[in-house]
Amino acid sequence: MIFSKIVIESSVDCVDHSGTYNAGINTFLWRIIVKKRLLAGMMGIGLAASLMLSGCGNSGNAETETTKAAETTTAATTAAAAETTQAETTKAETTKAEEVSSEPLKVIATSENYVKLFDIFTEEKGIDVELLSMSSGEVLSKVKAEGGTPMADLWFGGGIDAFMSAKEDGLLEQVNFDAAADLAPEYKDADNYWFSKGLTVVGFLVNNDILEEKSLEAPKSWDDLTNPAYKGEILMSNPAISGTNYAVVNALLQAKGEEEGWKYFEALNENVDYFSKRGKDPSEKCVAGEVAVGITYIDNSILKLEEEQNVTVIYPEDGIPFVPEGVAVFKNGSNAEGAKKFIEWLYSSDENLKTLAEIDGKDTVKAVKPNLQGVTLTFDTSTMMEEDLSLFGSKRDDILEKWDAMAGAKAEQ
Amino acid sequence: MNRRLNKRVFPANTLFSDILGRAADWSILLFLMAALTVFIFYPLFCLSLKSILIDGRLTLQEYENLFAKNAVPLKHSLFTASLSAVFSTILGILVAMKLSVSRGKRKLFYRAILLMTMVSPPFISSLFYIQLFGRRGWITWRLLGLSINPYNKWGIIAMQSIHFTSLNALFMTGIMEKLDHRIIHAARDLGASSTAAFFQIIVPMLKPAMWGCLILSFVRSLSDFGTPAVIGGRYSTLASEIYMQLIGYAKTEKAAAMNMLLFIPAVLAFISYRFLMKQSDRMLASENGRTGGEFPIRFKGILNLFMNLGVWLFYGMMLLQYFCIFITGFLKSRKGVYSFSLEHVEKIAEFHKSSILRSVEYSFFVAIFGTLFGLLLSYYLERRKVAGKWGWDFLASLPYLLPGTCFGLGYIMAFNRGLLKLTGTAAIIVLNMAFKQLPAITKIGSASLAQIHRRLEDAARDLGAGRLSVIRDVILPNLKTAFVTGFIYNFASSMTTAGAVLFLISARHKVAVYTLFDAINSGEYGVASLISSIIIVITIAVSGGVSLLFAERDEKGSGRKRKQIGGKERVHVSGNQ
Repeated sequence: MIFSKIVIESSVDCVDHSGTYNAGINTFLWRIIVKKRLLAGMMGIGLAASLMLSGCGNSGNAETETTKAAETTTAATTAAAAETTQAETTKAETTKAEEVSSEPLKVIATSENYVKLFDIFTEEKGIDVELLSMSSGEVLSKVKAEGGTPMADLWFGGGIDAFMSAKEDGLLEQVNFDAAADLAPEYKDADNYWFSKGLTVVGFLVNNDILEEKSLEAPKSWDDLTNPAYKGEILMSNPAISGTNYAVVNALLQAKGEEEGWKYFEALNENVDYFSKRGKDPSEKCVAGEVAVGITYIDNSILKLEEEQNVTVIYPEDGIPFVPEGVAVFKNGSNAEGAKKFIEWLYSSDENLKTLAEIDGKDTVKAVKPNLQGVTLTFDTSTMMEEDLSLFGSKRDDILEKWDAMAGAKAEQ
Repeated sequence: MNRRLNKRVFPANTLFSDILGRAADWSILLFLMAALTVFIFYPLFCLSLKSILIDGRLTLQEYENLFAKNAVPLKHSLFTASLSAVFSTILGILVAMKLSVSRGKRKLFYRAILLMTMVSPPFISSLFYIQLFGRRGWITWRLLGLSINPYNKWGIIAMQSIHFTSLNALFMTGIMEKLDHRIIHAARDLGASSTAAFFQIIVPMLKPAMWGCLILSFVRSLSDFGTPAVIGGRYSTLASEIYMQLIGYAKTEKAAAMNMLLFIPAVLAFISYRFLMKQSDRMLASENGRTGGEFPIRFKGILNLFMNLGVWLFYGMMLLQYFCIFITGFLKSRKGVYSFSLEHVEKIAEFHKSSILRSVEYSFFVAIFGTLFGLLLSYYLERRKVAGKWGWDFLASLPYLLPGTCFGLGYIMAFNRGLLKLTGTAAIIVLNMAFKQLPAITKIGSASLAQIHRRLEDAARDLGAGRLSVIRDVILPNLKTAFVTGFIYNFASSMTTAGAVLFLISARHKVAVYTLFDAINSGEYGVASLISSIIIVITIAVSGGVSLLFAERDEKGSGRKRKQIGGKERVHVSGNQ
């Protein structure tokens, strides 16, 4: 028997098998001349063609539809859509969403800590909640790519610029409720597409050891940061990634005026080695001693660092930039109703807002809802910079492009 | 196994079973092709469509000046990728040399560490690089009193070189042990020094493998966005720029167009890889070569010095890094003073247990079905006359060439509505992992198939076996070891790969690697380290377990017929059929 002459040695050892990988590379060669089997080829082409026509071609159309729909805020546009089949599916999906309200409310938040708040909501309203934490930039990209069928219902927290951009793209759902009238108009969307759950204020975190070692004074104001003495000792996140630092750029441009403002950032650019790609980097690297000064959001977790590490939090004298943290409902979410209920539940009860303030470790929610009882602002709002939030969203692309050109030019080394 | 062969290779050769067999054979083939089309071609098609279809209009606006605008990051990508590829290949060879000449317990130790370094959770290595070698690094500053700024291209190159070395070393070790010792002995007998034998005999024989390592590392570096994002500072590569466009500017169209740019060098690299393979094909050890046993030469002099330097550099860095990962999970820092703490353990037990278990579950799924799929695919592509084989093969290699984030984004665009609505399910995560890792599996499969002689198949067919019986009774049993390798690769990658998962994740289907990413992003390094340690331990345990399980079965199945001839899998067919 020929089979008895086959000798198979198979030691099951990863190293050797990976070796066989390359030994077989000759088998991995291109074979250009192939006997055609028409059927298989045709099948492949047919499949591909039908997919192209049916699937993602639609998602493009659907997107334009959603944008249109958002502009007019009526369902009429959907009906007017050229492709009737498309309109039918969209309709079918909306009715489905209304029927299935017993399914859990899917929330994308900036932190898992909000679980406590949502637990109370589940207890009182009987709606289960699934929470996922994700940064606002990722959320925006993801929702845009999903072409109108978002994976989540509620968006909880994150820089307001992302929310404004999402509203413009028609990705958000309008939420009207009575308590909305009590909210400060400057911190909510005029058409009720987004609301704020608090404000993020921005300041400096300084590492005292490093300052001492380099015999530097702690910076007191934004203007101090351009002092050449701090060269290479300042870290700031890229404003495209970090809503907090986008607030800094926008606020300073507004405060100083365009021309002066950009001159300021050019000078700051000289002192900053690089702009980090993660929002948490400035505070972390400052604590680690990688830099002396980090430009960072300030909340309880940062204030706690003062006790745990040899660092100091500084509120700049020439004004504190801030950014509202958004809350919104995604359009076409499978449980958009539940998300709306949550927003109404949250803002209609002072108790719930207090729980939120506790979790956040800050009291800026008082600024959002001025008649909120039992919470007082611990810092003087007059030290906050004057910001026209309406410019936040509309100018974002221009500002970031200009920023990229300025900071990017230095990248070429 | 041979007993099974004898029993099943002669089915009742009726017309009916033949038709049935053909039908089943065709449906498998169709299924494979359909799956490739739907889960690789279609998402990538949607992604590229996104770059030309803006607001419903067909436009090339994203492609205007695409090259000019991205010339700098592209140049950076090519630069870092070339250097990382060269360094990691050299280091890989040095480590492989050391492994080949070591014996006994020492060899076991080197191997064990090398296998551990294959399991490397993302991002965490870059963070430890900063912790160790940063401006306030434990080593550079605390130990040596230096303050070096690591946030530049050299940081990226150093990290990637060290990181890619593991895989290269594994490849090279496999090849080194396959070398035909007789040639080396002959050279030595004819008076060549060990150094001369190395450069004139061994190096030429290793050439194909070297090219393989170089090009695979090159492509891997091109698509790596994590390392430049964390330690690149101002130095941005194309992959990290794409990442920025996605999560910073939310410009999916632009990101998709930039992807096409990254695609060009990657495809060129792959084509040249194949071309070079063809050129140096003859250099490979012959089928009947005498291998195994004592490695025929000892390295001396400068070569030995270099070898040891490389090995110590690699092992030093790796041990340090893994030591840091393991220890940081149990540390707490207060004003620069570290103390032991179980805080992170409690946190994980409370919050992250479910996501870790889920990861294991998904990884098993991918490891079993993804591997079977890949092996089956490689069989059909290698051995059957499939129309457009070149195209299918290329399609199956594509996921390797692109950054994971983009592959994930393509999945979201492709599967968000209609019949194929998969967004928000576990299926989309599992499918994405399986197809992202498919290129490696098909290559493992092809390599193993190369060792199952075609004549064996023909013989079975001549003896009356149907096409399906051939697959079931001849091919699959012989691919058992490839299955184990594929299983381990799939499992480890599913546990640790981050790119696509970041986009496909949903609250109900959170996996460990996402929790890890999230912990890092919120600055909880302790928790992140502990999750990494758990991932490493689980992966090693499962890999080891599966290897042992299959090893034992194999032992029982064909123990008597086995003949010890060397340290690797090999099939010999005697010529007198």
